[in-house]
Amino acid sequence: MTELSLREPTFLILTALAAGAQHGYGIMTDVAEISGGRVRLRAGTLYAALNRLATEGLVEVDREEIVDARLRRYYRLTPPGAQRLEAEVERMRSNTTVAARRLRLLGRTA
Amino acid sequence: MDDHFRTSDADRDRAAALLRDHFAAGHLTPEELDARVAAALNAKTFGGLRCVLADLPVPAPVLQYVSRMPPEAGRLERGYRRLLFFYPARYRRVHEEEMLAVLVTAAPEGKRRPGIAEAADLIWGALRVRCQPSHNSGEPAWRDALAVMSVILPVIMLVVFAVQETRISPSAPLWVLKEVAAPSALVALVLLRLRRLATLAAVAMFLWVAFRSGDSTLLWATWNAHLLVPLSLEIVALAASPGPRRGLQILTWKHGALVVIAALAVSTAWYPVGLIVIAVIGAAMALASSLGRWLLMLLAIAAIPAWPFFTAFTLGPPLEIYLPYGWGFIGPVLPYGLGFIGPAYLLPAALLAVFAMAARRESRRSFQFPPAS
Repeated sequence: MTELSLREPTFLILTALAAGAQHGYGIMTDVAEISGGRVRLRAGTLYAALNRLATEGLVEVDREEIVDARLRRYYRLTPPGAQRLEAEVERMRSNTTVAARRLRLLGRTA
Repeated sequence: MDDHFRTSDADRDRAAALLRDHFAAGHLTPEELDARVAAALNAKTFGGLRCVLADLPVPAPVLQYVSRMPPEAGRLERGYRRLLFFYPARYRRVHEEEMLAVLVTAAPEGKRRPGIAEAADLIWGALRVRCQPSHNSGEPAWRDALAVMSVILPVIMLVVFAVQETRISPSAPLWVLKEVAAPSALVALVLLRLRRLATLAAVAMFLWVAFRSGDSTLLWATWNAHLLVPLSLEIVALAASPGPRRGLQILTWKHGALVVIAALAVSTAWYPVGLIVIAVIGAAMALASSLGRWLLMLLAIAAIPAWPFFTAFTLGPPLEIYLPYGWGFIGPVLPYGLGFIGPAYLLPAALLAVFAMAARRESRRSFQFPPAS
């Protein structure tokens, strides 16, 4: 089960949805918050990513509401989606642990 | 909610379009489609429309009454709608309202027009959505592609044959009719969804073409490659796929018109125009989905006898590769030495390999995870 690693926007979208079902605008603001303002998703990028994630079965539609006479559709993480996020976190964690350890060693000898 | 609000013609038409999308995805039988479209076109309230779509998989937009927007927001919204036009129609039917809501909410107060960065982002998003595989009915893309092939290949052969025969003997319409009788019969069988009869007819045509001279030498076979290759591919398509029934589920009248136009472009003598038409249609198909890419590949295989023409007209002038003297449209497939054969078939084969890899990669990606139920 070794797939390509997730790109950052996709990873952040999955992270945002891990907190619960959200709609498009909610995901955008959440991603900006998580990344500390660094990553600002626009609607085109967000929906292209959601489309791909939905086709792969990692996210699905949770519910639809009408707010201010506009359609608002909520998305949620599926179990395979949560697993994928977990796997990605594990991969990054093991990478960062090794990198941090080596940097500390580097600092000591420098 | 607004179940009791009355529907407009536009709402009913949208519901009917959504039902056809679900039919194309394989969620409804033809009888169910007819029944539900009739019910949708007669529905007087939104509750009625929702009943018709109730058990079909999401996402499908909730059809709701949308109040009039103030004129300022209207201009921004119209700007966004124009940009959303780049998205595929099927995608827009499901997501347009939702994306508009997000775009308008995210726009700061007093914004009048979409920004350049926003426009670029939306157009780029549209391109990516077009390249992504859509929700499948569960059938692997190559089987669906074969099913579509089983329908359009006989149509292409009929058009090309009819044009050719008319050009050879333009003042003998009865002769033309006699010559196109067999391809027309095959087209009729396919359109009537008679898979087994169509397979038998295709096999019969294949055998007749292969053995009609009395002696079946290899040379005779190559002289008839332009008939034998497509016929054998048609037999495979009919046998190894769900068949014309599934193919006709996927195809629409727009596709049918495109196929006929492409076939006419190929069979007239205006080679640059024909090639351009084929290239544009092929690019659109390839971008649309992995199904499109498989289809393009299969059609390229059916057109193997025409590969030397393709190479000659694209690479020929710069590389000084020209068709050997006496090479007609129905010329032999294996003649005149490797110096010409190599390049003539290499370029299309290379393109075919690229498409095969891209199509297989997309097919495998979309089946890595089971779709959420």
